[in-house]
Amino acid sequence: MKPNSLENLLKQEAPQPDPAARVAARRAALAEFARIHPQTANDTASKPRSKLQALLGLLRLSSQTRGSDTMPWYSRRGLVGGAASIFVAVIGSAVVWETLRQDPQVTELNRPAAAPPPSETRPVPEPAALDGAKAESTAAPDQRGRDAGRRAEAQTTTANEREDKSAGAKAQRAELRSPAPPDIAVPVPPPVEEPSVSVQTVTPAPTAATAPAQAGALQGQDANRQDDSLDSVVVTGQRRSARSSKDVKREAMPAVEAIQSEELEEVTVAKRGARAAPHKGMPQGRQAGGSMGGVRANILHSPEPGALPPPAEGRDKFEHFDLNSVKRPAIEGEQVSTFSADVDTASYSFVRKQLNQGVLPQKDSVRAEEMINYFDYAWPAAESRERPFQPTVVVSDSPWGKGRKLIHIGIKGYELPARERPDANLVMLIDVSGSMQDIDKLPLVKQSMKLLLGSLKPTDTVAIVVYAGAAGLVLPPTPVGEKEKIVAALDSLTPGGSTAGAEGIALAYQLAEQTFRKEGVNRILLCTDGDFNVGIDSTNELRGFVERKREKGIFLSVLGFGQGNYRDELAQALAQNGNGVAAYIDTINEAQKVLVQQAGSSLFTIARDVKLQVEFNPATVAEYRLVGYETRALKREDFNNDAVDAGDVGAGHTVTAIYEITPVGVDARMIEESRYTTKPPPPAGTASEYGFLRIRYKLPNQRKSQLIEQPIRMEPPRASEVIQRDVEFSTAVAGFAQLLRGGQYTGSLSYDDVIRQALAARGDDPYGHRSDFVQLVRKAQTARGM
Amino acid sequence: MEEQELIRRAQAGDSTAFSELLDLYYDTIFRFAWKWCRHRVNAEDIAQLACIKLASSLAQYRFQAAFTSWLYRLVISCAQDWQRSQRRHDHDELVESVPMEDDSQAEDQIYLLQLLAELQELGEGMKETALLVHAEGLSHAEAGAILGVSESTISWRIHTMRRHMGKREARATQSV
Repeated sequence: MKPNSLENLLKQEAPQPDPAARVAARRAALAEFARIHPQTANDTASKPRSKLQALLGLLRLSSQTRGSDTMPWYSRRGLVGGAASIFVAVIGSAVVWETLRQDPQVTELNRPAAAPPPSETRPVPEPAALDGAKAESTAAPDQRGRDAGRRAEAQTTTANEREDKSAGAKAQRAELRSPAPPDIAVPVPPPVEEPSVSVQTVTPAPTAATAPAQAGALQGQDANRQDDSLDSVVVTGQRRSARSSKDVKREAMPAVEAIQSEELEEVTVAKRGARAAPHKGMPQGRQAGGSMGGVRANILHSPEPGALPPPAEGRDKFEHFDLNSVKRPAIEGEQVSTFSADVDTASYSFVRKQLNQGVLPQKDSVRAEEMINYFDYAWPAAESRERPFQPTVVVSDSPWGKGRKLIHIGIKGYELPARERPDANLVMLIDVSGSMQDIDKLPLVKQSMKLLLGSLKPTDTVAIVVYAGAAGLVLPPTPVGEKEKIVAALDSLTPGGSTAGAEGIALAYQLAEQTFRKEGVNRILLCTDGDFNVGIDSTNELRGFVERKREKGIFLSVLGFGQGNYRDELAQALAQNGNGVAAYIDTINEAQKVLVQQAGSSLFTIARDVKLQVEFNPATVAEYRLVGYETRALKREDFNNDAVDAGDVGAGHTVTAIYEITPVGVDARMIEESRYTTKPPPPAGTASEYGFLRIRYKLPNQRKSQLIEQPIRMEPPRASEVIQRDVEFSTAVAGFAQLLRGGQYTGSLSYDDVIRQALAARGDDPYGHRSDFVQLVRKAQTARGM
Repeated sequence: MEEQELIRRAQAGDSTAFSELLDLYYDTIFRFAWKWCRHRVNAEDIAQLACIKLASSLAQYRFQAAFTSWLYRLVISCAQDWQRSQRRHDHDELVESVPMEDDSQAEDQIYLLQLLAELQELGEGMKETALLVHAEGLSHAEAGAILGVSESTISWRIHTMRRHMGKREARATQSV
């Protein structure tokens, strides 16, 4: 066994716990204990707070006072130190302020500084310190920075109870380690109203002060960064936060669920708000959270930069999202559900790949809407290009809860007859970096591209650009008529070098512009395993670039290959900003499906910025929940705002959305009736409707959106056999996706039920996709049982 | 048994008993938390969260499993919560954000953190399994009981991890 094997490394003993930490933890736990057992508690922590303490509580910041209710030990502890420090703060800072006013250099330091402050600063007074009300405790310089940063984020949140707890306790811990020397220390509380941290004063405590000081400096930077993201809260204001306590439970392992209690609900409150923090530069409904972090993490993962990036498993990055929660139309603000159409299917392919390897997929890789939309459904297609959708609405009984109903909303994009197909100007942008050498990467790319050639017209043009150590042109735009040339060029590709994705993209766009076809389709097909670690290294910059080109009429589709470092979130973000499709190709069959069967839909957009909105009728619908589309949620006002980007739909694409509703009067509600809200009077003439569907879209060459409206009737005319069957099948897929996410809302549904439903609704299944699905469910069953 | 008696008294609301219980088990909690995150300050955070949570969920302990097993489960859950809250602040730069501790094994620590992160992404429950079996030296059956899966699941996970490590090794030697 190697000395640095996993086993041996793990055997390493943990260090001795720090006595101060132990005391702090004990105290915190006892306080919590006292809160739970107030009548029996005999601990000092439960003593009523003295007047002075109450006063101090008042003096503390509002965001802290809430925390102090649950941690009286903190306020108690802070009593003496706090009083002393306020006193010293006021006197001391007045004196020092006076002295330092003559010293411009220090006053300079005092401004909100972008650079991290030196870890050892002299006691510098903060204007805020003069205001005794803000003097908290003298402790924990390291906590300061973090705290300020947290507060920056907490701007949009409700008080974050859990953190306050740990924050307070941490402060206290530091206090225990270095007993605050009140006669030297001048406390400088963070300027709370402005989250940017300015100067941190370090108590020149002899003991443990230096390490936290450095941490403090780092955290200061951190807070500045978070300050940035705060700006973007204002700009993009997101709402994809909804998370119920059950959600949180769901994410913990099933076994752990048993020990959940109100504690979790506290976290929930905190999370609900804090999740709102979005990213800059993405005004769309979907945000690729954490992709920047992804870049950095990736660099960190490769031990020798410059050398071949070692292929690795389990480094695939997925954006984290929370499941849609149950909403009530009777509640103001929950009446309307708005989301963007999504025709991506990458999630299904990825899940399939994982399951084929006998592993349950990461929960965040399972996006229900992409799994549902992977399959073709028989929703009737629209008849004209001008009105490209003909929504199909089917109401059926929900298999996930007795008494509940499912509302299927299916649209199918207008199918372009071959003669109506515009000319295509395609640029294949192919990653040939060293990581592409696996059999399911570059070789599969070559095969797939050859398949694609078969579905193009001879007059269409294809160019090939590769990127690796340097970006290079392999084939200038060549008509598909000269197929041999293109095939030869594809065959000549060999993997090697590191990835310079950004340069490659720039070159590809340049080529596409050269042969731009005004009336045609101009599209870049990016084939990659997901690494863009050289070049325009900021993903935001890259996204911005793609977005600008989109305005010019050049779109980008991302075809993901292979596994190991697939950057799903980046692929999704790029494709979305580039008005394209993100597909994940794991087998040649999948290539066949995406590039041949669906060539029309992948290449020819028939409607842009397709948004769906359902307004529920509170008189007939007690609760509703949208299955999937979490990462596609839009704000209500975005629906009518043509400047807000949304998903595009290609020729023949089907988009399916499923709502699960609990009709009024049915005893299957997840949320009990609110005691204090009065029921709204039912609007006249709508008593037979569950809701109202609106679809907005833009025709490919138009800037102004069009609207399709249709009521959702409680008893819609009975759908045809084929449609009924497809409703069944999509329900099975939706059930499966939800089971993979943890089965939070699917009641007693089991994999067996899914298999039964899917088998019953399999239909003709000419390409075998639906049979594959059944196999996949069986694999999930096995993987889970292992 | 004295420990059971303590737990019963604590469950009944006796804070002295609870305090003794904390004294008895803080080390266990902290050590396991440390093994989870390999960082003292973070481990202290997690341990503290676990202690707080112990106060509220002790009542749910039913004496069916060994108390330490139950405790492991609690610490795991707290560690996961903690990790999620960190992720919220800092996305997934956990590895990066961990300041180095000043010991000579810093390199090993970073490598191990990387391994643990990989395990976590390899599948649900992988990291927990590795910690319980390799770090705590529990049997597959015990680890299974804690994680609420069967013994064979644990064995399969260990096997999968070995395979993963083997592949990793092979790659490392290749690229040298």
